[in-house]
Amino acid sequence: MRISTNQIYDQNMRSILNSQSDLAKTQQQLASGNRIITPSDDPVGAAKVLRLTEEIDELTQFQRNNDLVTGSLEQQEAVLTNITDSINRARTLVVQAGNGILSDPDKRAIGAELEQIKLEVFDLMNAQDADGNYLYAGFQSGNQAFDFNPSATGNAITFAGDPGVSFIQLSNSSKIQSTSNGYEVFENVLSRFKFSVTGNTVTDLEGATVKQQGTFDTFFDKNYDPVTAANNDYQITFLGTGQAQMVNQGTGAIVDTVNYVSGEPFTIQGMEFEAVATVGDTIDFSLNTPEKKSMAQSLHEIQLILTDSTIDNTALQESIADALVGLDNGLEKISLERASIGSRLNIAESTYESNLDIEIAAKAARSSIQDTDYAEASTEFAKQETALNAALATFPQVTNLSLFNFI
Amino acid sequence: MNRVDLFSIATSGVNASSKLLQTTSNNIANVNTPGYVRQRTEIENSGVFGVEIGNTERIINVFAQNQLRRDITSVGELESLSQKTTAIDNLLASEANSISQGLTEYFSALQTAADDPTNLASREQVLGKSESLYNRMKTLSDYMIEKEEELNLEFTSLVNRANTLIGNIGDLNRNIVIANGNNTSDEPSALLNERDQAIDELASIMGITVKESEIQNGAVTINLTSGESLVLENGAFNLFELNTNADLNFKELKLETDFGSTTKGDASIRIVESDLGGSMGGLFRYRDEILGPAMRDVGQLSIAFADAMNTQNKLGMDLDGQLGGNIFNIPTFTGLAYEGTTGDYIVTAQVTEGQSAELTDADYRIEVTNVAAGVPTEIEITLLNADGTTKKDGSGNDLVFSNFAVTTGFNELPGGIEVDFSGTGTYAIGNEFLIQPTKTVASNITLATNRPEDLAFANPVRTGADSTNLGTANTINTIVTNTTVGAGTDRSAFDGAGGIDTAAPAQIVFTAADSFDVLDGTGATIATVTGATDLDNLIDQAKNSGTWPAAFAGLTDYPGYDFSLDGAPRAGDSFSISYNTDGFNDNSNALNLAALQNDETVQVSSESTNTPRTFQDAYASMVGRVGEDAAMANVSLASAEAMQVQSQNWFESVSGVSLDEEAANLIKYQQSYSAAARILTTAQDLFNTILQSAR
Repeated sequence: MRISTNQIYDQNMRSILNSQSDLAKTQQQLASGNRIITPSDDPVGAAKVLRLTEEIDELTQFQRNNDLVTGSLEQQEAVLTNITDSINRARTLVVQAGNGILSDPDKRAIGAELEQIKLEVFDLMNAQDADGNYLYAGFQSGNQAFDFNPSATGNAITFAGDPGVSFIQLSNSSKIQSTSNGYEVFENVLSRFKFSVTGNTVTDLEGATVKQQGTFDTFFDKNYDPVTAANNDYQITFLGTGQAQMVNQGTGAIVDTVNYVSGEPFTIQGMEFEAVATVGDTIDFSLNTPEKKSMAQSLHEIQLILTDSTIDNTALQESIADALVGLDNGLEKISLERASIGSRLNIAESTYESNLDIEIAAKAARSSIQDTDYAEASTEFAKQETALNAALATFPQVTNLSLFNFI
Repeated sequence: MNRVDLFSIATSGVNASSKLLQTTSNNIANVNTPGYVRQRTEIENSGVFGVEIGNTERIINVFAQNQLRRDITSVGELESLSQKTTAIDNLLASEANSISQGLTEYFSALQTAADDPTNLASREQVLGKSESLYNRMKTLSDYMIEKEEELNLEFTSLVNRANTLIGNIGDLNRNIVIANGNNTSDEPSALLNERDQAIDELASIMGITVKESEIQNGAVTINLTSGESLVLENGAFNLFELNTNADLNFKELKLETDFGSTTKGDASIRIVESDLGGSMGGLFRYRDEILGPAMRDVGQLSIAFADAMNTQNKLGMDLDGQLGGNIFNIPTFTGLAYEGTTGDYIVTAQVTEGQSAELTDADYRIEVTNVAAGVPTEIEITLLNADGTTKKDGSGNDLVFSNFAVTTGFNELPGGIEVDFSGTGTYAIGNEFLIQPTKTVASNITLATNRPEDLAFANPVRTGADSTNLGTANTINTIVTNTTVGAGTDRSAFDGAGGIDTAAPAQIVFTAADSFDVLDGTGATIATVTGATDLDNLIDQAKNSGTWPAAFAGLTDYPGYDFSLDGAPRAGDSFSISYNTDGFNDNSNALNLAALQNDETVQVSSESTNTPRTFQDAYASMVGRVGEDAAMANVSLASAEAMQVQSQNWFESVSGVSLDEEAANLIKYQQSYSAAARILTTAQDLFNTILQSAR
C-alpha cells in the first residue's frame, strides 16, 4: 500500500496520543484507588455503588441508633434494678412491721424508713435521661411522669404522663421500642382483691375476711363483672341442712355451698365468715372494684398506717396484707418489664451483629465493584508505559527516513 | 513519412520534464496544505515523435472520498454527543454534587432527630441537610439549564457555519463550471480542493450526500441524507433556520428553500433532527436523549421528594403542638402557549398534593377541544417525551387522553398534576398549551420554613388503654392518614386548633372480648362492632360495621386516624383517643418521615400507575442511564474514529503526497530534463557537424 507522508506523521501522532490518554486513565485509577472514575466507566457498577453506599450509610445510622437505644434501655434497666432492690428492702420492713411485739415507736421507725424508700422509688419512677426527658412520661416527656399529692382523694401518687412509647429504627425491617409506658410498668398494678359486706341478718358477724387469697383471686378474676354492677353482689344464705349457700344476686346462680356450724368460721371461695346465724339468715356482700396502685402508693399507704398509733392490730394486719400483695404484684410487673428490656437488648445486639455482617458484605461488594485492582492496574500501567515508550522511540526514527536525506 | 526534428523532440522533452518537475514541486510544496490532493501530469507519446503534455489532474478516488465523508459525519456526531454527555457524566461522578449523598445525609439527620425528637439542634440539622440536598439538586439542575442555553448558542453558530458553507459551495460550484469552460486541459485543482474541504466541513456538521451534476460540468449537488436539497444544480442553495415553539429554549431546525424560481414557491421544511447526523445531529441527540430526560429526572426526583416530605409532615404534629405544614415550596407551572395560540390565556398547573408518586417525567400538551362560554369544558392531553414526541404506554399505545372533561378551578390530570384555566381571555377550540412540570423545577424548590419546630415529628393523636382496664390489651400502631382541616368532604376530625371534633371517635369500649362500642367526645355511642375477628384498625372495623354514622359516610377519610390492639381486652375495658397535647417526645411521625427513604415514591415508568421506585433507586438509575449513554457514545466514537482512520488511510493512500515518491520523481524528472537538454546539445552538435562538413 502506498503510504503518504502525512499518514506517517498522523499514524505516529495518533498512537502516541492514544497511549498517553490510556496511561492517564490508568494513572488516575491508581492514584484515586477507584476503578470507576465516571459513571460511564461502568454504568451498571456505578448505579450499584450508589445503592451500596446508601445501604452502608444507612447501616451506619442504624448502628448509631442501636448504640442510643442500648444506652437508653440499659439506663431503664438500671432504674428498674434499683427499684427492685429498694422494694425488696421495703418488703422485708413491711413483713417485720407485722410482728405483734413491735412497739409503736418501732413501727414509726419502720414507717420512717419506708417513707425514705417510697421517696427513692418515686424519684426513680421519675427518672430522666441525659436530655432531661422523663423516661416514663410517654410522649409528654417534658413533664414529670408521676405526681405526688398527699392530700388527694384516692391515690396520692398518680401517673401524669401518657401511654405513648417511642420506637427506634434498628434496621430496614425492625423497629425496637425504646421507651416504656410508665403507667403499664408502675401503676397498672392490681391491689389486693377484696369484698365488702353490705348487709346481714345474722346475730353476730364476727369476721368477713379473705382467708385464702389465691382461691379468692381466682374466684374474683373469673366472676368480677365490670359491666353489670349487680353481678358483683352475692348473698350467703344459711340453709336448714347446716349449709351455707352463696348465690350471685345478679344472675341468681348458686356459686357454692359449704357446711356450716353456727358460731364457727367457715370458708367459701377463699372468704372466711364467722357468724352466729339461724336458718334463713343472710349475709350480703359485693366484690370491690379492683384498684390499681403503684408500689410507691402502696408504700405510702402502709407508711401512713405504721405511723398512725390509733390503728388496731386487725386493721394493721389487713393493711400489711394489702401492702405485700401490692408490692408482689408490682415486682411482678417490674420483672416482666425487665424481661422485656432484656429481650429488646438481645434483639438490639443481634441486630447490631447482623447489621455489621451486612455492612461488611456491602463494603466488600462495593469495593469489588469500585476499587482499583492494583495488581491489574499496575500491570496495565507498565504495559501502557512500554507502548508509549516504544511509540516515542520509533517516531523520530520513522520520520527521519526520507529519500531527501540521500540526495 | 515525418521528418525527425531533434530540436522539436528535445523541446517537447524539456517542456514535458519541466511541467512534470513543476507538478512534483507543487506536490512537495503543498505537502502540509490541508485538503491538498496530489496531482499528476499526464504525458503521452506525440503522434509526431516527441512527447505531448496532457492534463494535470488531482489523483482522487471518489469512493474513498465519499467513505471518508460518511465517517467524518459519524465521528462529528459521536464526538459532540460524547463530549457533551461526558460533561454530565463527570458532574454526576462528583461526590460534592451527588444527590445520593445528599439523600443519605438527610435521612441520617432525620433518624438522629427521631432518636430525640425534642432536641432542637438535631431538628436544625434536618433542615440544614434538606437545604443542602436541594442545593445539590439545584446545582445539577442549574448546570443543565445552563447547558441547554449553551447548546442553543451552539446551534445558532453551527447553523450559521453550515449556511456559510452551503453558500460557499454554491459559489465554488459556479466558479468551477466557469473555469472548466475556460480551460479544457487542466482541472481547476485549487477550486476543487477548496470545495472538497468545504464539503468535508459541512459533512462534519451534518450528514450529506454529494453527487456530481450531470448537466453542469464539474458542479456537485448536495443533499441531506434524509433527502432535502442543500445545494442545487443551478448553484442556488437552501439555508437552515432555527425556530422555537411553546418552549422558547427548545430549538427546532427548519430549512428555508430558495429555488430561485419564479414558478416554484419557496417553502419552509421542518427537519427531523434525530436523523441529521454530524456534530449538529449529535448535539440534537444529546439534547433529546440525554440532557432533556436528565433535567426532567432531577426535577421529578425533587418534586417527588418535596411532596412526599410535605405530605408526611402534614400528618404529624410539630413542636408547637400544631398540625404539620409544608416543609418545601413546590412552585406552580405556567402553561406555555403554542404558536397560533395568542391572547391572554393563563394556564396554571401544580403537582397534586400527595400524588407525586404518580408524576412521570412527561411534558403535557393540552389542547382545548371544547369550550362553553369561553371556558374550556373538554381538553385533549398528550404526554410528551423530552424530544417532543408522544409518550407511549407499556403496550406501545400513545399516551393521549381525549375528551377529558374540565371545569373551573384545578382539574386533576393523569400523572399527578392539576391544571387551572384561569385566564381572563376567551378560550377557543384549538388553543394549545405546553406544561413542563419537571424540566426546571429542581432549581425552584425552596424551603417553606426555617423553623426547626415546624418539623412534625409527633403523631397528632395518641391512644392508650384506660386505667380501669382489667384485660391485658394495649394500643399499638396508631396511624394518621388525614389531617385536613375544614368543611369539605376530605376533612378529618382534627379541628386545627389543637383538638379533635367532639363528634369524632374518642373512645372505644369493649362490651365483650370481640365486641366494642365506639364513643364520641361526649361519651355517646356512635357505632357498634360485634364479632370482631381481630383487633386491627378498630375504627376501620367500625366504619364497615353498618352502624357508622351517616354524617361521616360521605367523607373520604374521616376521622383520619386509627389504631390496633395488642393483647386480650376484657368486657368493660376502654381505650381512649385524644389529641397528642404536649406529646413532643413522640417520634412516630419522624419514623414515618425517615421510612420514606425506602418507600417507593418516584415513578420511573411512563405509566403513572406502575410501581414506583425509591429516591435512591430513581437517582441511581438516572446516573446509570447517563453513564450508559456516555459509555455508549464513547465506544461508538472510538469505533467511528477507527473507521475514519481507515478511510482516511485509504484516501491518503491514494491522494496524499509522499515525499519519498516526490523525491524519486524529482530526480527522475531532473534527469529526463537533463537528458532532453542533452538532445538539444546533440542536435546542435549534429547541426554544427553538418555546417563544418559543408564548410
